[in-house]
Amino acid sequence: MTTLTPTKATGAIAQPAEALYIDPECQISENAVAHTIDLPGVNGAFVADVISAMLAHERCGAHLYRSVASRTNNPMLERRYKELGEETEHHVEVLEQLVTSAGGNPNYVSAMARLVEGTDSKLLESTFMLNGAADIMTEELGMLDAVFLAESMDHANWHTFAALVDSLPDGEIKNACAAAVADVEDQEDEHLDWARSTKRRLVELQATSAIAAKAEMKAEEMLAAVRNWLS
Amino acid sequence: MGFNPLEERGIDVEDQFRNWSELNVDPYDKVHVDPYTRARVILMNGIEVESIIFSHQVSRHTDNLEIRRALALSRRVDQQQQKVVNGLNPGDQTPLETTIGYEQVAVDLTSWLARHEPDPMLKQALDFALLEDFDHLYRYADLYDLLEEGDAADLTGSLTEITPGRPTFTHHRHPYDTVRGHYSTHTVDPLSRLHVMTITAGEQQTMNFYMNHGTDWIEPLARGLYAEIAQVEEQHVTHYESLLDPLDSWLKQLVFHEYNEVYLYWSMMQQESDRRIKQIWELHCNMEIGQLHAACELLRRYEGVEPLEILPPALPDTPVTFESNKEYVREILATQYDLRTDGTDYVNVGDLPKDHRYFRFQETVNAGGVPSEMVIDDERAERDRDYRDEDGANPIPELRQIVAA
Repeated sequence: MTTLTPTKATGAIAQPAEALYIDPECQISENAVAHTIDLPGVNGAFVADVISAMLAHERCGAHLYRSVASRTNNPMLERRYKELGEETEHHVEVLEQLVTSAGGNPNYVSAMARLVEGTDSKLLESTFMLNGAADIMTEELGMLDAVFLAESMDHANWHTFAALVDSLPDGEIKNACAAAVADVEDQEDEHLDWARSTKRRLVELQATSAIAAKAEMKAEEMLAAVRNWLS
Repeated sequence: MGFNPLEERGIDVEDQFRNWSELNVDPYDKVHVDPYTRARVILMNGIEVESIIFSHQVSRHTDNLEIRRALALSRRVDQQQQKVVNGLNPGDQTPLETTIGYEQVAVDLTSWLARHEPDPMLKQALDFALLEDFDHLYRYADLYDLLEEGDAADLTGSLTEITPGRPTFTHHRHPYDTVRGHYSTHTVDPLSRLHVMTITAGEQQTMNFYMNHGTDWIEPLARGLYAEIAQVEEQHVTHYESLLDPLDSWLKQLVFHEYNEVYLYWSMMQQESDRRIKQIWELHCNMEIGQLHAACELLRRYEGVEPLEILPPALPDTPVTFESNKEYVREILATQYDLRTDGTDYVNVGDLPKDHRYFRFQETVNAGGVPSEMVIDDERAERDRDYRDEDGANPIPELRQIVAA
């Protein structure tokens, strides 16, 4: 069972900072974080923070996919968003297991994770808080853009992590990290490829076709056009 | 398992509107009202005002028509709820009598929240401001005696002591020292979140009241006192709102607002002694459950978040309760009288360096006389004593009654 929103009830912990108080029951020190990745020549606290931020991004990605899957008007996009969302939840599970196997708490929320969540939260909000001026075709592109941006970050995260794993000293932690990368990396390639190619297809489709939104187009006609995209 | 509003049906928001006659409620009798009924009315009015102003802020940050319409719908109902709640205040209750009610709310609400607050940092934030509101009650009670020859104990029912706290003239600090650190939305105890939202709304309402009623007076002393204490309430709103985690999205904050309103109306229902007013709390609780469902639906649809990911499985077991906190206030006064703030920390005033901005700010705003001191001086000059309603000597020797020779 994965956790998409860490809370006190699910065992969330964090480090305090000048502007951030943490209930003493939920505090963890930098030393304790570092101890999770206790390897010679490795800044364990930093690596643990990076993994926490990756996890935050995957969790936000799962929420993004749930949101766009429920709002798209295109059946193929809906199906694909659901598939990618399920795979993203699997990535959450992979990272949670990795942290747990290293003796850490998968609900540790690093400062970097907070920043990532802030970015991702605004990215998701951009798909609905400012769509009053957008027709439904533009809304679809906006949602797809958010997916593309989220997958771009995700892809970069896992490729960076893969390179980091290569440089770790041999041992159990390296093996566990390598197994996580092996489990996820190909899917991340697919996710980004799909988002990039689908964005291109939709842009080309609308740029070269009469079905692109026109001022006089009725909402029902536009909806019908969107439904038929990619079919 | 306790009361889970997510499992209750409540009233659909579209079915919550009332006609003008239903909004124009009969006020309570100011002489016979239970002081804590008045306190509940004051608190819940502040909660509704916060809900309305917050909803307007969300609306200004989106042009999504579906969200704006959902906000407008719930907000109009909130406006009706606010009219009903605030309409319980009688017209023959003077602004100063209402003010004393506000300060009694501040003292007994803050004390109760502090006594039940699981997080020591948040408890400290509550205890710190408690002593300031406690002192405001004393200053206003003296003004009431001076201007209206009123006995504030008749309003408070002697359920709250009236005696000096941390003196108001010492409250005025540089704005930088009113900003606190905040909790993390991920690690905060659900009860703490509700506590902070409640006290922020309550203090904001007090700030708004003084902002608008400070000019109800002809007497310069009264106008000055309201102006001075209104500035402290501004500090308190800054103090408390900075405890909230800004990481929460607009829609999550909306859900938390509705959840807190359910919790508070449910709390008020548990203890209300006036049967008619209890029915209002009960009705509003059911309305808020409907509004909570609407907010949860927006969260689910637009952010893909299941409400139970961020909400506890049930309301806290203990309802927010208005009750006497005399011993608690005395204990905090005895131990935290000399406390000040320095950046995001609390320090003893004796530990502040002599050139600290606190002292410079004090010199600036307190130059030329301090209304909160002048009201006591005038009261002593008029009556040979200041007004108090004490159960015993003030725990701080220098704050004890000065009896004219």
